Amino acid sequence: MNGNREKGMGDMVEVRLFATFREGRGKVCYLDAAKLVKASDVLEVLRIPQEEVAIYLINGRHSSMEDRVLDGDVLAVFPPVGGG
Amino acid sequence: MTDRYERQRALAQIGEEGQRRLAKKQVAVIGAGGLGSPVLTYLAQAGVGTLRLVEFDTVGITNLNRQFLYTEKDVGRKKSAAAREKLALLNSEILVEVRDAELTKENAEELIGDADVVVSCLDCISARLIVDEVCIRKKIPVVEGGVSGFFGFVLCVGGDGPCLECLGYDAAMDQKEIPVLGAVAGVIGSLQAAECLKILLGAGEPLYGRLLQYDGISGTFDEIEVKKNEACRLHRRAEAGKEK
Repeated sequence: MNGNREKGMGDMVEVRLFATFREGRGKVCYLDAAKLVKASDVLEVLRIPQEEVAIYLINGRHSSMEDRVLDGDVLAVFPPVGGG
Repeated sequence: MTDRYERQRALAQIGEEGQRRLAKKQVAVIGAGGLGSPVLTYLAQAGVGTLRLVEFDTVGITNLNRQFLYTEKDVGRKKSAAAREKLALLNSEILVEVRDAELTKENAEELIGDADVVVSCLDCISARLIVDEVCIRKKIPVVEGGVSGFFGFVLCVGGDGPCLECLGYDAAMDQKEIPVLGAVAGVIGSLQAAECLKILLGAGEPLYGRLLQYDGISGTFDEIEVKKNEACRLHRRAEAGKEK
């Protein structure tokens, strides 16, 4: 899903945040891809506890915290929204 | 002919044929709470021939900020009985079947029955995953919707699209007493009803593979393209038992 693209200096990862994760962070954050290795690094930078994440997508697909993050990736992070 | 359906029959997507089609359809609505109230109301008013309502709970006073199928007089009554009464007053031309039961792994298949579409209006993720699995196995489209506070989502599950487990939802994420603004449940439930009617009519583009996210705080909608997870255990189990 991340393809074989190489990490480039100064390139950005787009992180789209949803629901309560937007509080104090905004709707979209752009992070320097060169400073990130895996999905969990993004949460650390944004100070989002892993246990609060229900959906973590990289380019529309479910991702584990160990998955690599590459420049140009679009991430989407959601808390649980399961009430009825 | 002037009747209750005149305004919707005038739509190109419905017409005489579409209205007749709706009358022949059966929808199972799982949960008759904050989402189930708008879903059941709009499906009944639209003339869906058979509504199967699955709900085991009784009406409590804390339900009344959002569950408009019930009134103060219904507190303490079974939701299934109170909802059936209200829906019969709204549209006496349709059949409302009630199943006063809590959906479990063991009874889900029987409760869902031969529905043409299932609308998931549950308040817990573990039961939502059961519904998704049974429906993928039986090839029944599911209209998922969820709310929390000022936020909500809608997603149609079926075909090559992802289910909730594909996206990362897990039964361990169940929360108790989720805060909900009634109007937000109204927005999401109304969207679920519209998606359900589109699927029944074969009209438009249902939200398969597109997660529609509502942010009531900023007053915005976002659409996120979402893909099936090839390693999804729910899909694997469902595919293994799929009806031919």
